[in-house]
Amino acid sequence: MKDLKHLYYLENLLTEANNDLVRQAQEEGRLAVGNVCSLIPEVLLDLPGCFSVRLRAPRTGSMEVGTYYMTSLLCEFCRALVERAMEGGYEFLDCIMAPDACAAMNRAVENMELLKTCNKEKFFITYSDVPMKSDETALKHYVKQMRIRVLEPLNEVYGIDVSDEALRKAVEQHNGVSKLIRELGEYRKEESPRITGYEFHVFCLATYVCPKDLLIPILEDTLKQVKRRRPDEKSPFRARVVLAGSEIDDLDFIKLIEENGAMVVADRHCFGSFPGRDEIKLNDEEDMLTQICRHYMTAGQCPRYMNTDKINERKDYVDQLAKEYKADGIIYEQMKFCDYWGYERMAASYIMEHEYGYPVLSVDRPYVVGTSGQLRTRVQAFVEGLEIKKIHRRQ
Amino acid sequence: MGKKMNSEKLGNFYYGNKTKKRREWRGAADTWYDYTRWLANWKVMAKFMMKPANLKGFFRYRWMGSYLAVPDFVDRHTEGLRGPQLRIAHKEFDFIVEHVCETIGNLFRADPACGGDEEFSRRVVVFDENMMSQIMNGFPNLQMVCREIPVVYTPSTVLQEGVLHYIDVAEEFGLPSDVCPMPAAELGCAIDDDFPQIGICAVNCNTTCDGSLMGNGVEARRFNIPTFQLAVPIRHMQESVQEYGAEEIKNCIKFIEEQTGETFDWDHYFKCMKTFNAETKLFREWLELSKTDYPQIIGNNVALYRDAYYQVGGGRDARFLQNDREITELGYQGYEKKVLCASEVRHRAVLWGVQAQYYTAFPIWLQNCWGILPLIDMLSLTSTSYYSEDDKEQAYLDMADLYMKMNMRNRSNGGYEVGVDDLWRFCEEFRADMVIMYEHIGCKAMAGYHGIFEEQARERGIHLIWVTHGLMDPRKASRKDMRGEVNRYMRAVLQEEPLDPTLEDFADDNNW
Repeated sequence: MKDLKHLYYLENLLTEANNDLVRQAQEEGRLAVGNVCSLIPEVLLDLPGCFSVRLRAPRTGSMEVGTYYMTSLLCEFCRALVERAMEGGYEFLDCIMAPDACAAMNRAVENMELLKTCNKEKFFITYSDVPMKSDETALKHYVKQMRIRVLEPLNEVYGIDVSDEALRKAVEQHNGVSKLIRELGEYRKEESPRITGYEFHVFCLATYVCPKDLLIPILEDTLKQVKRRRPDEKSPFRARVVLAGSEIDDLDFIKLIEENGAMVVADRHCFGSFPGRDEIKLNDEEDMLTQICRHYMTAGQCPRYMNTDKINERKDYVDQLAKEYKADGIIYEQMKFCDYWGYERMAASYIMEHEYGYPVLSVDRPYVVGTSGQLRTRVQAFVEGLEIKKIHRRQ
Repeated sequence: MGKKMNSEKLGNFYYGNKTKKRREWRGAADTWYDYTRWLANWKVMAKFMMKPANLKGFFRYRWMGSYLAVPDFVDRHTEGLRGPQLRIAHKEFDFIVEHVCETIGNLFRADPACGGDEEFSRRVVVFDENMMSQIMNGFPNLQMVCREIPVVYTPSTVLQEGVLHYIDVAEEFGLPSDVCPMPAAELGCAIDDDFPQIGICAVNCNTTCDGSLMGNGVEARRFNIPTFQLAVPIRHMQESVQEYGAEEIKNCIKFIEEQTGETFDWDHYFKCMKTFNAETKLFREWLELSKTDYPQIIGNNVALYRDAYYQVGGGRDARFLQNDREITELGYQGYEKKVLCASEVRHRAVLWGVQAQYYTAFPIWLQNCWGILPLIDMLSLTSTSYYSEDDKEQAYLDMADLYMKMNMRNRSNGGYEVGVDDLWRFCEEFRADMVIMYEHIGCKAMAGYHGIFEEQARERGIHLIWVTHGLMDPRKASRKDMRGEVNRYMRAVLQEEPLDPTLEDFADDNNW
């Protein structure tokens, strides 16, 4: 297949948290709002006058400082964020909106605050209490928290318009980007796909860390190109997998999987398109914030949701994806030292294999995996296993 | 060998076996008192074993074997004590022995594999570990059982290898070994089908940590009874979350009412809260005593007992209050006589972080070996507020407050204000010059403050000693390893000599 025109540009762009598009938007006078978790609705940070930047630490090397502050027992993603913050990598932010989601991420943000890693005059951090259940009581709480911990500070400190009209605009922008991303992703369903999981991930990841409006022309152009793109006669992949798990902002992780023969046809993780790039459907009856919060609460697939319905729904969700995208197997991954995904991965790996009948590869991984020979071997073995199963089925 | 503290060389009692060489001589009166209490505990346990359901349970469940070490457990926690401290310790630990026997008795009575009392089982509401029980103050006709306490929590405290099997089972199932061993052991126990299958319904709570919450979700698949997930807010210090907490309490009460057919009894609730407040008042007095030059109720004599009556007792069991009164009286007697808790008090310490379950007697060792007074520990520093005794709407908020501030959760959740800032406030209040900082290997919540603790302790001139442990898994850091970290600091930094040199290095890896 021919290379995608914007791929190289975005790959380079994603090597920096404070990337060209972020700088461009700030030069236009917009505020960069740091975000660390999908439990803070992204659209609330994409109001006119500001844009969300999901924090990541590309090109992480040493994590000595992060490890000093948080020990080697916390997830490397969080340690890498603290390390990057200490290096001044997030100085460009105007504020951070953090949920009290997992202990490790919460500590990471608290360290950033206590160590005064961002020094803009009006810089501030808020911590929201976000729901752990999906029901009407939790929704009420969610709405209240988002109002007083996100919207009101943005309005009071920076004068951001938080009216229903502004929220509607943000949702429209989100829906526009999501539609483009989903359309791109649809091409992964083809037997000989016109876009690889890696390429898709580059575009999808960019939507989390760049101002969305500046990405829209790139996405539109790419979609046109993919429509015309001629796939290889024979798919270079030997198997198709759903990738489910926690944070994956390391492009090399999906590259590693695909280099070893398994195409990532669906991405259910914190930087993936499922459920993060679901369209938000609005009505005219209910207030905008409630509708937005309801969407994030009901669509959310984070293992932090503890009610039984949600626990079961998470497995059904991955099952639906596997069916829709014709996956041969599922890869469950987690960042090492992540308690939520440690349990979820263990349980889901067992349930998806024994109750839903999928071959499952279950891995825990460091933050940066590109050179992991161990992981490479495990993916290779998994792909071989899938191939053998296919041969057996044919026989 | 005599009446005075440190007159016995306690390290010599350990000779590499499960047991110790002999009982400690504490002078005639204290030795006799201690011996009679030892006999009394045996009597309680013998009585327990005489019930057929309990005998069945003893042979049915692997974890029951741990309870054979109970007499040694009590001995461990009274090591070196004399006078009022010895009596306070026995008041507390002996009552815990009795209480745990009753709880296990209830478990076995309802358990189809033992007593099989179905009618009783239909009156049992199962709570998860670490969970406050005050909601049940409004259900006098129902029994509350904290499922994991007698099965996992207590066995790991009584016997250092108590739950290793269950941790291994969970890890063999695919659970990463870096999570907290407590929910891991609970999960292993569920996978092994080693929980009594009892109760009409269950309530799980987003308790202390992410791992604990997740473990509950997976375990619920094994129990197969209607389960309510009580999700109280994490940022418990924020005013804006209180309303949601109260709403969740209402939902939980409604769930129990629907499942059991009972109605919440406000009169009984308020009666229990009166008892709870009275207990809190006495606890506050204990804390005040600990701020003086002659602290009396400290270290082990607070830690486990506080867990028991704050969380499990919850005001429903008035025997705790009576016991507290007697303890307070002993405390004041000791204070008036200016009794010291160690033969020489060299340092006043606050214990922060999560204690090692397999070495809950560690604070006693600090006293006996180095003269470090463990004035108070993080887990005991729970809410000391008084709660409403007559206002129903306020009561919902109160219950939410208690659930948000359950043991450990009130410090491991809620932000650095309660996890870090409060430590320095307590150091000031208790005039502590030292912090014994437990570093529980699987606890992400406290580990995330590691560097901040270091820096802020230095700024304040406080000696900060890290003590690494594996909570319920001594294979990760043994009791000896834990002591080694204190020994190193005391020798290398403070250049002090131990009060009892035999306690500096002794063989207890194989001890119960």
